[in-house]
Amino acid sequence: MDFNALLDNIFLNDIFVTWVPVLATVMVMSFLYKDNPLYKIGENIFIGVSLGYMWILMWQYTIKPFFIMPVQDMFVEFHFWDITYIIWFLLALTMFFRFSRKKAWVANYYFGFLFGYTAGYYIPIAVQNILLQSTNLMKPMNQGSFFETTKWIVIIFGTFAALMYFFFSKPHKGVLGKTARVGIVIMMIFFGAAFGSTVMGRVSLFIDRALLLVDFPMQSIVCTIGVIIYLIIYFKFFKKEEKVIDDESFI
Amino acid sequence: MNNILEKLKKIDRRIIYFLVFLSIIIPLLPGFDFLIFPVPPTKETRAIFDEVEKLNEGDVVFIDWAFDPSSKAELLPMFEAFFKHCMKKKVRVFIYYASINGINLGKESVKKMTALEEFSWCREGENYINMEYIPITADIRIFNMDVDFKGTYKKEGKIFEGVETLKDINYILGLSGSVYHQTHIDMQIRFNYKFGLAVTAVMGPDYVPFLQTGQLTGLANGLRGAAEYERLVSDKYENNYYGSATKGMSSLTFSHLVIFGFVIMGNIVYFMDKKKRG
Repeated sequence: MDFNALLDNIFLNDIFVTWVPVLATVMVMSFLYKDNPLYKIGENIFIGVSLGYMWILMWQYTIKPFFIMPVQDMFVEFHFWDITYIIWFLLALTMFFRFSRKKAWVANYYFGFLFGYTAGYYIPIAVQNILLQSTNLMKPMNQGSFFETTKWIVIIFGTFAALMYFFFSKPHKGVLGKTARVGIVIMMIFFGAAFGSTVMGRVSLFIDRALLLVDFPMQSIVCTIGVIIYLIIYFKFFKKEEKVIDDESFI
Repeated sequence: MNNILEKLKKIDRRIIYFLVFLSIIIPLLPGFDFLIFPVPPTKETRAIFDEVEKLNEGDVVFIDWAFDPSSKAELLPMFEAFFKHCMKKKVRVFIYYASINGINLGKESVKKMTALEEFSWCREGENYINMEYIPITADIRIFNMDVDFKGTYKKEGKIFEGVETLKDINYILGLSGSVYHQTHIDMQIRFNYKFGLAVTAVMGPDYVPFLQTGQLTGLANGLRGAAEYERLVSDKYENNYYGSATKGMSSLTFSHLVIFGFVIMGNIVYFMDKKKRG
């Protein structure tokens, strides 16, 4: 049996692919009770595996097909433009000069190229985008439904009011103060919508984990009981409660 | 009364977690299917569906997969529903992975979908293709109409017949949990392609302004967007198709009710306490 087949047999069998995700989920969720070693183990495994996985993928999908293989091909059949691979490679290597205090400036060439290229590529499109967004607001008010018309008024006045909130050259009194007040209400509505969406997103993440737990009920029950027993033993016998605990600070 | 007020003020956060946990897990348990209800689609999600509906057999759809397993909960159900819809319409699907961490997730998902009996006729290289990952600069190649699309990627495969440049792509759907697709939205002005977007709920509000300018033809927002798309596919092609998003929406609804309850309770307790203190 070769090494890859051995790894596949260890990590891709049914026991591993059902028990490990469930156990990892319950381990990390144990943090909701209190910080504990099981959570720390789960957290560190997650970070380690993510980084390792990322490295492998980076090698497999970027470095190998876009650098190693073309350079190998150069030795079979050389074209003049193949030199560019070496140039890009050397430019990328300059990033390592960041580790040196005296020679850190060498890496600036890479950043100079990158920023110049990105700015040249993106600025014309960004300007077009802003113009399109702006011109789209300039529509005849008497056309469209009542909702459409009021929508534009809210957008234009809302934008103006929000900008006035950040206008500090005059004291926020009188008309300016009232406009700034409307501006902050408009911003709060946006933050509320954004925060509501964020809560929805975070709950959705947990729903994904919950679906996993429901899909493997036996594993979920066993792992949950195991983790609960561990937490009881750990907090009862090994971990001494700290005397100063302000529970409200966690809320 | 004061006693209750004090207890509510100092309610253990773990009780809240536990109640949220119950509100999420109970609708997903077997036997609680009656709690699952289809979500009425919004016009933004329907716009994506309608664009695909307009396509003919053999037309080309390009899926720009720019999410990794951290956004899987919200975007994978949308991908599955969209891919299912495309296969029902018998359009050719190109899947390009802009996120290196998403490649295996995407391949597994496609494998799972095509393993279904109804899609047993689907062949890679003929009906759909996984175009793997290309580093970020490939964006320019994708949106440069002068570059041979075939030459840039895989040359083999029947799926590439008649697909030379961006002009030959009838619809593009981006799936992302970041600002990655902002470039595509900006580029839309220049190349005028039809572009829909499915994003995580956190990113949703940021992309709404692009709907009115037509830079986006549709927007599916988070898990809810995916559930809406599942509903649309279900209504048109098969009754009672409930994917993971529709199941998740009932959990989401009940968890939101619990959160609302605690927010309202917290405010009542706060104002009562303030009144008591004078």
